[in-house]
Amino acid sequence: MTMLNPDPDAALVQRVKQGDVRAFEMLVVKYQRRIERLIGRMVRDVDLVADIAQETFIRAYRALPQFRAESAFYTWLYRIAVNTAKKALVDMKRDPVMTYTSLQGSDDDDETYRGGMEPTDGETPEALLASKEIAATVNAAIAALSADLRQAITLREIEGLSYEEISDVMNCPIGTVRSRIFRAREAIAERLRPLLDTRDGNRW
Amino acid sequence: MSQPDSDRSPSESHRRILSALADGDATDSEAARAFQAWRDDAEARSTWHAYQVIGDVLRSDDLATEPAADESFLVALRARLAVEPVVLAPQPRVAEEPVALPIAANATTHSRGRWQNSLAMAAGFLAVIGGINFVRPFNHGAGATLASSAAPASAAVLASAAPANANGIVATSAQTQANADQLAPYLAAHRQSMMSGPFQMPGGDIRNVSLVQPAR
Repeated sequence: MTMLNPDPDAALVQRVKQGDVRAFEMLVVKYQRRIERLIGRMVRDVDLVADIAQETFIRAYRALPQFRAESAFYTWLYRIAVNTAKKALVDMKRDPVMTYTSLQGSDDDDETYRGGMEPTDGETPEALLASKEIAATVNAAIAALSADLRQAITLREIEGLSYEEISDVMNCPIGTVRSRIFRAREAIAERLRPLLDTRDGNRW
Repeated sequence: MSQPDSDRSPSESHRRILSALADGDATDSEAARAFQAWRDDAEARSTWHAYQVIGDVLRSDDLATEPAADESFLVALRARLAVEPVVLAPQPRVAEEPVALPIAANATTHSRGRWQNSLAMAAGFLAVIGGINFVRPFNHGAGATLASSAAPASAAVLASAAPANANGIVATSAQTQANADQLAPYLAAHRQSMMSGPFQMPGGDIRNVSLVQPAR
């Protein structure tokens, strides 16, 4: 994506640069799943994905004072994730001590190779079921939205348009766009919240 | 018509702001409230997480993950962030925008700097030579030394400093000689004025008078 639109994370990044580490947590919650998926496509050992993702965020946090906003924050973060994953792969080749999972997935031609899809500690059958349930709930909630709300949140989340661009497409004021996107999120979140509460009742 | 923010419950107001912040559309004051809500309000944190999960799942079902995994990831990262030095990036100075000077202006500034350096050096020489000449009269005992030697000495210094100045502002040796010629009559007139008038020394012009006392 080009930098035609202002970086949506600019306010959060600026806040972290001013010393607010809690604002960095908001960025982590926003990008953690995408970063883990990106790393998971590079590193077959699913046991390492979370560790590399953690390292990615730590490196990003340390390097944030040097972030000059010449690209979007997430582009910059993706670059750090790719470099961190590459380094981990190099280190794994150098280090003969490898995890059992990575040894299993080392040969594409091996008929036992499962393409990293085999459940591990991080992907129990219960976890996979919960993930599928979350996806089904979101999709059902989207389908139940009115056309205006569905179009507004789709243009924002899938197409990545700014509020101004959505107001042009939908021919309505920016305030209406903002309100429609909020109402769409609220309607979906209402169905989703029971699934997002953790098993032990802890909240974020 | 949308309801004004003041009429909404704090939690709904926070959720609206978090929605706008997620899209980069929050104002500065709204963003500040959102950061505060993230710190203080568990509901605001779960709302932010829910909004982000919704966006991820809309983009791809692969991104739906077990919420406990998301939370444990953040808890582990918090522990690591806690031992990291706090990030403090230097902030840009808003009041003083850097102004790109044209090349000619820069050149002028630099040449002026060189000129000022030369002049300062010349002034330093003047001070030293002046000090020497101030001390010298006590050696030679000539009161007029200040008039006769200080001016040529200064002129010599100025003349020697002149070549260092590319702009020709400091006098040349011919001009300096002319200045010294003008200075000599001034000093002579000054000496003359010291011999008469209110600054005249007592005893210079004494008249004899006699006191006549009338007979009683």
